Amino acid sequence: MSSSLDGFPEGQVQFDLERGGASVRVDAGLYPLEAIYGAAYVFIDRCFVLLDRADGGAYRVWLSPKKATDEQSVRAMLGELGNELLSCAWRAQIAKESRSIIEAVTARALGGARGAPGLDDLEAFDFSDEAFDDPLGIAMSWEEKYGKKKAEEPKAEAAEPDAEPKP
Amino acid sequence: MNLLQIRKASTSFAMPFRHRQVAGKHLLTNTEGAFVLLDDAEFTAFAEGTVARDSALYTRLRERNFVRAEVDQRAIEERIRTRKRFMDLGPNLHIVVVTLRCNETCVYCHASRADMSATHTDMSKETAEKTVDLILRSTNPSVTIEFQGGEPLANFEVVQHIVDYALKKNEKVGKTLEFTMVSNLSLMTEEKLKWLVEHKVQMCTSVDGPEHLHDKQRKLPSGAAALPLAGHAHAVAKHWIGRINEEYARLGLDPTLYHVEALLTTTSETLPLWKDVVDTYVGLGCKALFLRPVDPFGFAERSGGRVEYPRKDYLEFYRDAVDYMLELNKQGVQILERFAAIFLTKILGGEDPNFLDIRSPCGAAIGQVAYNYDGKIFTCDEGRMLHEMGDDTFLIGELGKTTYRDLMGHETVRAMAIASNLDAQPDCVNCTYQPYCGVCPVHNHKTQGSIFGRMRESTLCAVHKGIQDYLFEKIASGDPHVIQTFQRWTTVRDRTHFLQTCAL
Repeated sequence: MSSSLDGFPEGQVQFDLERGGASVRVDAGLYPLEAIYGAAYVFIDRCFVLLDRADGGAYRVWLSPKKATDEQSVRAMLGELGNELLSCAWRAQIAKESRSIIEAVTARALGGARGAPGLDDLEAFDFSDEAFDDPLGIAMSWEEKYGKKKAEEPKAEAAEPDAEPKP
Repeated sequence: MNLLQIRKASTSFAMPFRHRQVAGKHLLTNTEGAFVLLDDAEFTAFAEGTVARDSALYTRLRERNFVRAEVDQRAIEERIRTRKRFMDLGPNLHIVVVTLRCNETCVYCHASRADMSATHTDMSKETAEKTVDLILRSTNPSVTIEFQGGEPLANFEVVQHIVDYALKKNEKVGKTLEFTMVSNLSLMTEEKLKWLVEHKVQMCTSVDGPEHLHDKQRKLPSGAAALPLAGHAHAVAKHWIGRINEEYARLGLDPTLYHVEALLTTTSETLPLWKDVVDTYVGLGCKALFLRPVDPFGFAERSGGRVEYPRKDYLEFYRDAVDYMLELNKQGVQILERFAAIFLTKILGGEDPNFLDIRSPCGAAIGQVAYNYDGKIFTCDEGRMLHEMGDDTFLIGELGKTTYRDLMGHETVRAMAIASNLDAQPDCVNCTYQPYCGVCPVHNHKTQGSIFGRMRESTLCAVHKGIQDYLFEKIASGDPHVIQTFQRWTTVRDRTHFLQTCAL
């Protein structure tokens, strides 16, 4: 296992051409986990990919190429992983900062293309489905939500036990 | 000179802007897509907020909404609304692959054509009708049905059926219909031509440049064409381009507007032939030339080593070719470059021509839909091309099983709308060309493994940036002839003869 590869800091990467694997250490404080998932996923058509924890609050991304490879290809692959990590991390940041405009544009574009449901769509709608969850009480009337609570109904009398158990 | 060198940058003078150095000047753009070109002294005054109110520079900046204190909020809203008008409408372009069979063999074939014997790749009339039924569900009041292949003339009966069926069905729907066909023209006959002209089907073909290059890259087997010209793809295309243009003239249509459009696919062998390419197109009577680089789809991937090239070389080719076209325009020859026209319509015209590959978000499904011969439905033609290469990432439905609204709400469509939104894309979010540009998630997926891609490493981004650099250099030169020609290239005239409306 070698830990020296041209262009990468010593110890940051490990690779073993004979055993067909390479890995890079990724600082968890610099890259959000979703960026690591996104960047590693890009390689699954070319490599077997494994994520692992490394020492000092870091992750390690293991790439094992599906076909035989050489040192130059490993270098290119790990370099691409590094670039994709940065791209994913920055995109996650942009998505947080520009969430409202991204959502507005997406909703407008998809809404314009989709249009209002027609009679065919309503016909195909599954009305037997469960009512949607409403944890914030948005679908409740003002009275239901904030009005005075009615005096509690007296608890129903405990039902008489059936003389005979029902089948 | 850059912003870091500005000692006392003002935080209150300027509206948000992006900037880039072009031709020794500072190009500034803003959210609404307005631009100004400033020299060093003007840029310093702008960044420091020391532009005199009674100066010509202040007026220029104010008129284009770069001055915070003078901003016209309503004008900004209106301009953004104009640029993004396409977002309120559904898919306009519907690509119908009536067969994968093709009688030409092209080194870069993006469509992964099948042999002429592969009749199982012909679309059936039943599938064709289902395709039209779905197309007419689009929320867009204007719909273009584009016949592609393979070679659509190889399944002409279904082309005819689709046109007849769509016109009849549209009597109850009332959309504005347009039909176009992308064909190598080698299976054209006088009888087919008569029918196509009568039914107002526009024709578009491929021309790879001068005859020797075209014939080398597009092999037409001997005996494949119904003319004495058989065996020579270029001669066959030239013959039919002439015949079609004659028919348009016979109908009294303006030849500057009504003529066969041709598409170029730039390969490594095209690059040194930029002058011959332009001359060939002018000689064929074409008024537009689309200098498209080769895409990494279909056979182009397999023959990549032979047809591909560094994009730096492509951009030199592009500059040489367009410089020559500008020179020809100066001499009174009307020929425009399509990439330039798309960008200039946004830069100078303030409108978006709705070219689906260069808009934000891109037109995947919400602007175009591709229907395969077997009833499978894709976000776009590029997505269908990947399907033929064994990748179904962009398959979003199947005729008879998927409703129109399900297609538009498909998770892949949603993901592509986000991935091609330049406000969500690293690099693009800060790019000076953001108001005019677009990305292709399918290209990103194919070349970089993710629909988001990495723009600094994207060949498509290199092409878009390089072309816009060239255009702004030309604008910065202030040559009145160039500006006049560019203004003319932004003028989009509808080919109303081909619009088929049906009052309800």
